Amino acid sequence: MLANLLPNINEIFVWKGMFAQHSLLEFNKTALMAFVSSAICISLFWAGSRRRALVPVGVQNVCEASYELVEEQVSVAAIGEEGRNWTPFFATLFFFIFFMNIFEVVPGVDFPATSRLAIPLFLALMSWGTFIVTGFVKQGPRYFWRNISPPGVPTPLKFLVVPIEFFSKYLVRPFSLAVRLFANMTAGHVLLAIFAIMTDQLLLARNSGWYQAVFSPLPFAGLVAFTGFEILVAVLQAYIFTILTAVYVSESIHPEH
Amino acid sequence: MRIRTLLAAGLLALVAVVSLPHAASAADPGTSDGQALVTCVQKALKDNQAEIAKKQYTNFTNALNDCNKAPSLFAPAASELIWGTIAFIIVAFALMKYAFPALRKTLHARTEKIRGDLEGAERAREEAEEQRRQYEAKLGEARSEATRIVESAHQDAERLRQELMARAEADAAEARARAQDDIRLATDRAMGDLRTRVAGLSIDLAERIVERSLDRETQQALVESYIDAVGTSGNGHG
Repeated sequence: MLANLLPNINEIFVWKGMFAQHSLLEFNKTALMAFVSSAICISLFWAGSRRRALVPVGVQNVCEASYELVEEQVSVAAIGEEGRNWTPFFATLFFFIFFMNIFEVVPGVDFPATSRLAIPLFLALMSWGTFIVTGFVKQGPRYFWRNISPPGVPTPLKFLVVPIEFFSKYLVRPFSLAVRLFANMTAGHVLLAIFAIMTDQLLLARNSGWYQAVFSPLPFAGLVAFTGFEILVAVLQAYIFTILTAVYVSESIHPEH
Repeated sequence: MRIRTLLAAGLLALVAVVSLPHAASAADPGTSDGQALVTCVQKALKDNQAEIAKKQYTNFTNALNDCNKAPSLFAPAASELIWGTIAFIIVAFALMKYAFPALRKTLHARTEKIRGDLEGAERAREEAEEQRRQYEAKLGEARSEATRIVESAHQDAERLRQELMARAEADAAEARARAQDDIRLATDRAMGDLRTRVAGLSIDLAERIVERSLDRETQQALVESYIDAVGTSGNGHG
């Protein structure tokens, strides 16, 4: 019965273009949310960095605390003191992803742009390109071999380890980064949509007597609970994407790790 | 002012978020879907024109079936990729070029200020500690000096006391000696006077008794020997 109630899944993911429809530059809700996230990031940090009070309050405090959080928990934690120079990049990544994710639970929007594969894929490819270029710049061409040939591995085992490492580090990483973010946000979006539809149908649209009286609050409670859970997921996925990028960059900077 | 700007930006973003997708979705979904289907069918016809002419419809039928399929969730949309990339480039440029350097500058200035204040406080504490050590050393010296002065005063007092005592004793001894001398002289003088008077009285007495029977010198000698005898006898008793 539930399957009949649920709409085609594309209705909650594939949006009609606002302009330039069916072209390479079709501008839909996903693109809009990406730009809105950009605008929020820029507005927030512009406002936060404009006032340079010695004792920060309000938005300056929020921005500085957020920036330092990324610096301490991502840059320095993964790379060390050298990582402080990477904080602007990681902070941009983190807050851009976070604001796209959090729109999943914003009433009226209810859609994370990262639940479409395009943007996570672009971010993952950029992360991939970043750590490879960094490795090449820091270690030279030998980075490519050193990265897939761990020290201390006996030569016969290298025939096994090197292909695995090559596959894991050069081919799988960008896709694992992209799919992890995309799949988590897609699952969350579907989950919230299902609970919202169930709430609508059981609590409002249908009238099935005592059955409705007993069971209808359940999907609503689930919706509330999963909304809170998805806020956590939004933060966590942004953090995971950023910290993994930082770890990969750290491997490129410090070959001994 | 800043809060008002933020509120205005937030309101604008909310209006855009709520209105634009709804406006886009409000259009008859069949219209855009139908257009896409027509485009797809036209493309299938065009691509398979040669085979259709030969009455071979397999590829054309497959292409038509593909036209009816919903777009895959796992296929990244090229347009979204392009717009997402542009959005990220904009935010990365704005944040990494302007916002974060300003933020880092503020944080760095604060760090330096706090470090400077802490170092200043540490210096002040060390100076205070040094001054305290100096004061304690001076206090110790003052205490030693005071002790030394008191000790010296005690010694001086003792010495003075002893000197005074010695002098007093000497004076007393001298006074005593002088008194004894005076006593002795007075005694001697008194004894001489007494002897003289006793001698005179005795002579007078003897003259009266003897009536000038003896000459003067003999009487005198007799009286003196008598007085000596008396004196010796008196001293022996006395």
